[in-house]
Amino acid sequence: MYIKGTGKHDSCCSLLLRLVDVRRLAWHGKIKSLEQIFLFSLPIKEYQIVDTFLGSALKDEVMKIMPVQKQTRAGQRTRFKAFVVVGDYNGHVGLGVKCAKEVATAIRGAIILAKMAIVPVRRGYWGNKIGPVHTVPGKVTGTCGSVSVRLIPAPRGAGIVAARTPKKVLQMAGIVDCYTSSRGTTRTLGNTVKATYAALAATYGFLTPELWKETVFQKGPFQEFTDFLAKPVIKGH
Amino acid sequence: MADQRGNDVALLLAAQSHLGTKNCTAHMERYVHKRRSDGIFVFNLGRTYEKLQLAARVIVAIENPQDVVAISARPYGQRGVLKFATYTGARATVGRHTPGAFTNQLQKGFEEPRLLIVTDPRTDHQAIKEAAYMNIPVIAFTDTDSDLAGIDIAIPANNKGKHSIGVLFYLLTRLVLQARGTVSAASPWDVMVDMFFYREPEEAKEEAAPEAEAAAEYVADAAFPGAEEGAGFDASYNTGFPAAAPEFATGFDAAPSFEPAAAPAAGGDAAFAQAQDFGGGF
Repeated sequence: MYIKGTGKHDSCCSLLLRLVDVRRLAWHGKIKSLEQIFLFSLPIKEYQIVDTFLGSALKDEVMKIMPVQKQTRAGQRTRFKAFVVVGDYNGHVGLGVKCAKEVATAIRGAIILAKMAIVPVRRGYWGNKIGPVHTVPGKVTGTCGSVSVRLIPAPRGAGIVAARTPKKVLQMAGIVDCYTSSRGTTRTLGNTVKATYAALAATYGFLTPELWKETVFQKGPFQEFTDFLAKPVIKGH
Repeated sequence: MADQRGNDVALLLAAQSHLGTKNCTAHMERYVHKRRSDGIFVFNLGRTYEKLQLAARVIVAIENPQDVVAISARPYGQRGVLKFATYTGARATVGRHTPGAFTNQLQKGFEEPRLLIVTDPRTDHQAIKEAAYMNIPVIAFTDTDSDLAGIDIAIPANNKGKHSIGVLFYLLTRLVLQARGTVSAASPWDVMVDMFFYREPEEAKEEAAPEAEAAAEYVADAAFPGAEEGAGFDASYNTGFPAAAPEFATGFDAAPSFEPAAAPAAGGDAAFAQAQDFGGGF
């Protein structure tokens, strides 16, 4: 059945007997970019899909390693929870949380989960639409637990005005200028980072006048490439 | 056209597909004609027929028929679902829907269908839930007391009675074949509704006994290519008939009329798939 690879080598994926359709399409270049996957809300179930598109551009950053414990009759059983943010500094972020007995395993697992949770970030202008986009398109907020993080558009040159952790996430998303406002117990890093991620994800959920034009629906990749997908899966593909 | 509609509605009436239950959900109110004096809600079969046609069109719009999966956990719908799959080239999941079949890519039974057809939203809720995770649209036969959460096309009808479910799948299959052009006024579909009805195991055995001998002779015929292995199983695979459980032996008698209907695009493969799924069922 499925033979686990070390995660470091891309060859491990060739051992998967059952490749998810999106992966097949991506591998064979039928899907040209991640944005197509986002457009049709296709669930990303294998992190290699993201690697195919973003590859080296994707950087990861461990936000925190948190030891968590469980009580057993023989003492405490400690595991490590890793929070990893992944981003290409140009419009894509992902957040992964993984708990494991060893730190390294946790980090590795978190990176994989972060890649699968990658989300497009919409960037806009504060005022004049000169030059490249640099800030959030509008005020967005994300909540997790008691923490709510609000991102507010800022003029060019303002930089990211935020606490250490949300700042890191915003940087990896490719946001250059941003004001923030947060509320709640922000020292629970887990919640803060999830709230920021949620806020960034919300940027593409916001209807602005530019998006008022009626959508022209295209064929989804599963429909377009149905003949290709109907072909039996050769081992390794 | 109108004649066919009239005949079909008469068939639905005979199968009591218009009778709902004593409860009615808010979403199903629009399909209800009225409530009887004994408390049973009665469906407006005209709307049922419209939804059947809509569903058939959606099914036909899927280029690869194998991407459609029909599901029934309850025994009453299993035969209908299997027949639907055989005649339209779809896949059938009968009995227990293993959780994770749509979401867990590491699982052996992992599938990625593009459309789901469900007999009862309540008993098949696991399948509907997973379809939601994987962006799979759902067509379901809904009764008056069904919850429509997660269902994209609801076909209002009685999904409790075995005749009702049988007729519904029969009509759906025929509408799909008509939309595809496989069946038309020139080449009518001569499969009987009875093939879609659930049969109690005793009934099935009774009918099987005399047919089993006929089947044995049929299979021994050397004309069938590749009839090396297990008798009934392999013969059925090659001829494109559904799996060789005794009850399907009835089909052997009606052999000439079966050919056109049993040979859609992926007929052979579908039969093989049915044979696989069949292992657990009857």
